[in-house]
Amino acid sequence: MKRYRIAAVVALIASSFIAVQTKQTHVDAASQGSASAMQTVQQPAPAPADPGAASYAKRCAICHGDQREGILPAFPPLLGIHRQMTDEKITALIYTGKGRMPGFPKISKEEMTSLVHYLTTTEQPAVETTSAANAGTVHASPLAQAGSSLFQQNCAFCHGRDAMGGETGPDLTQSKLVQGDKNGDAISAVVREGRPEKKMPAFNFSSQELLSLVAFIRERETAAASMKGNRRGVAVEDLQTGNAQAGKTYFNGAGGCSKCHSPSGDLAGIANRYEGLRLEERMLAPRDAKSTVVVTVAPGKKVTGTLAYRDEFTIGLRDADGIYHSWSTNRVKFTVDSPAEAHVEQFPKYTDDDIHNLMAYLQTLR
Amino acid sequence: MKLLKTSLAITAGALLAFSAAPRPANAQNLENSQLLKPSPDSWPLYHGDYSGKRHVHLTQITPQNVSSLSLSWAFQTNQSASIKSSPLLVDGVLYFTVPDHIWAVDARSGHMLWHFNKPTTQGDHIGQRGVAMYKGWLYFVTPDCHLISLNAKDGTVRWTQQIADVNLGYWTTMAPLVVGNHVIVGVSGDFDNLSGYLRSFDPDSGEIQWQWNSTPPPGTPNATTGGMTWMTGTYDPDLNLIYWGTGNPTPVLNGKTRPGDDHWTCSIVALNPDTGKLAWGFVVSPHDTHDWDAVETPVLVDGDFHGKPRKMLMQTSRNGYFFVIDRTNGKSLLTLPYGPTNWATGIDKDGRPIPNPEKEPAPDGRLIAPDEGGLTNYRAPSFDPKTGLFIVDAHPSWSLYFAKPADGNYGWAGADYGLWGKGVIEAIDYQTGKIRWSHEVGAGGSGAGVMTTDSGLTITGDGEGNVLALDTANGKTLWHAGMGSGMQSSPISYELDGRQYIMTSSGGVLFAWALPEKASPAQHATTEEHGK
Repeated sequence: MKRYRIAAVVALIASSFIAVQTKQTHVDAASQGSASAMQTVQQPAPAPADPGAASYAKRCAICHGDQREGILPAFPPLLGIHRQMTDEKITALIYTGKGRMPGFPKISKEEMTSLVHYLTTTEQPAVETTSAANAGTVHASPLAQAGSSLFQQNCAFCHGRDAMGGETGPDLTQSKLVQGDKNGDAISAVVREGRPEKKMPAFNFSSQELLSLVAFIRERETAAASMKGNRRGVAVEDLQTGNAQAGKTYFNGAGGCSKCHSPSGDLAGIANRYEGLRLEERMLAPRDAKSTVVVTVAPGKKVTGTLAYRDEFTIGLRDADGIYHSWSTNRVKFTVDSPAEAHVEQFPKYTDDDIHNLMAYLQTLR
Repeated sequence: MKLLKTSLAITAGALLAFSAAPRPANAQNLENSQLLKPSPDSWPLYHGDYSGKRHVHLTQITPQNVSSLSLSWAFQTNQSASIKSSPLLVDGVLYFTVPDHIWAVDARSGHMLWHFNKPTTQGDHIGQRGVAMYKGWLYFVTPDCHLISLNAKDGTVRWTQQIADVNLGYWTTMAPLVVGNHVIVGVSGDFDNLSGYLRSFDPDSGEIQWQWNSTPPPGTPNATTGGMTWMTGTYDPDLNLIYWGTGNPTPVLNGKTRPGDDHWTCSIVALNPDTGKLAWGFVVSPHDTHDWDAVETPVLVDGDFHGKPRKMLMQTSRNGYFFVIDRTNGKSLLTLPYGPTNWATGIDKDGRPIPNPEKEPAPDGRLIAPDEGGLTNYRAPSFDPKTGLFIVDAHPSWSLYFAKPADGNYGWAGADYGLWGKGVIEAIDYQTGKIRWSHEVGAGGSGAGVMTTDSGLTITGDGEGNVLALDTANGKTLWHAGMGSGMQSSPISYELDGRQYIMTSSGGVLFAWALPEKASPAQHATTEEHGK
């Protein structure tokens, strides 16, 4: 065991040596590259005007990298170090060193202050400089700016860079949840928990990061509201091209809607409860429609409830008391009644006019 | 070969002498010969081999014994990012990724050898599909568009080269493809009007060898931009052509500023890997306005087609159509939908769907099948040579597409909303395009990739996070295990020390499945008794 440890130490020292060597080659290769190929870009060096950056470049960059990116596995990255350590801890560590890291006991107070400041300032370069949607965006607060960077990395793919919708994800500036969320708690909860039923992943952000995201979303909400008539995305007035009479005919005829729904029953006043895209989405695919399951657990013994889980192997329901029960599908017989399936069967039958007409008709139900 | 290996070992040993750390003789040295003919104890390329069939010739795990498949080990990345990469396996070490991270893990035990982490603050962190390897070096792309070459032994960086300018709106996610002495890399970026391209780098120096642009420079009148190259292509060494799928045009949902077919977006292209010159191109979605990147694996199959031997290329494309193409010349052999589609008026004489102008996004919305995620997406399909089945994780789905003048003609330029979808594993007979069996995998869809084995197994996943082993002949479930969340990657398989492993991932966890080891107590450490 002791022999092994010595070998490990030797290997570590050797690997740090390699790391330093590699680093030098990297610099050489990069400068050669830029001479021979225009496309090679040098990482921008920290601005020399910042004394903290200068101190970092002199003392720390050799191991922790020019951009604080670290050289793993030997040297940890220092980006985001302020999320792991307090200023006091960082200061102490620099003075005393730790493990393979040498201490810098002779560093002056002024230099230490600027170095720690450099290490703990949020390193967020401006992200969107060319997007038409964001051109000229001035972030109201540093918080929103930090949130913007986080948003671009983690949320923009689905929700769009300006939070107004992108691939798959909804327009957050028109979201009821966002609009009704006074202190950001609801937004934070969705980000933390995700929305598994809509395939939105959960994110493990700190409270500060969540605050910055909320600030960014708020900023986009304000910007979107100022677009008024020329607003991007789907507005209520965009969905007024149908004919209500034709929609009523479709509702009672070819659409088959009246088999399950009634304008004086479940749909009475529907247009007061929902409008625009939300109404249209519900009309075409009611996501929260419940399915009923009847499970025959023994001859003559049935359990009925609302479908709560289903895969090939397990069937789960909630009974009238809200209690969850599940069975292996190979041990019971069961039937599932999903009224919303009729909506799925209707998809290939609609024309776009049918949809617009139906929408016009539903909007008369106030 | 043995001589070569020995001399390589000597060279490697000499190079390492100063580090004083003795290493096994054959460690991490991946040659072109292994890339061309991967051994069963390796998975040296994103797709396992150059053909993209994701079919393994391993037969230890069979339809008869798969019911006793069990967990050999699991590896926790402790990251919230999902594993979307296919691990590489070379000389007993697995290499896999999430954005900004690489792990090297012992394939026998699942313990970590090293971990590389380069936090980046720019570029979309939507996914990372894996590393490429050549000789002793790994190639890894970052969200902020850099190609990093690292030492496979310890993850130290050799050089970093820029692939694209992240400030223009590019990002990178893909696993590079190594062909000969080329490291071929593609780009992503849908939020800006940018040209897609492939760029080839010298594996040693990192210098740029060539670049192929899928679309003209931004600002070219009446021309499209886009055609991103964000999935790994395939390669035919006999024809010396690489095959690559290209992404959607930009502006994405508004096609008015880019009339015509929009070459080479939503296309399959064949390029010479030494020069980057285009041999042929085939547009699978002419004038796309629905974001249906044609980047799904261009699977290369040699075999009979309607009585004639053919060198074929097959793709189940995101737009809902299954294509069989003669890969020597790019001519269509078969085009048929493999699920609900409603955006084309028919198929033209060249085998391309004809887009219906009425189904372009509009201010009051258009009902479209499939949805924007498509009838399938980047997770790999598999081709099973014995049955002639092309097996794909399909996603029948419906959605609404909107675009109006206020949405402009830059970047996304519209809005779309998925209404409903489900997952179905479909087995397509490539000769007819008919679906021979289908296996439902749940509401919403699965997103898992597919792999087949010579013993007749199809490995994939369902929408609830179960890994499934199906009978390739009929699609029946033979084995399953819950992994905790949906599979966002494509399975791989290999044999080490005479034991076949099937590897899947879920969330940030990697799972190695194998048949139980035969009991051999003599080889295991005996339990020491203490304190008695």
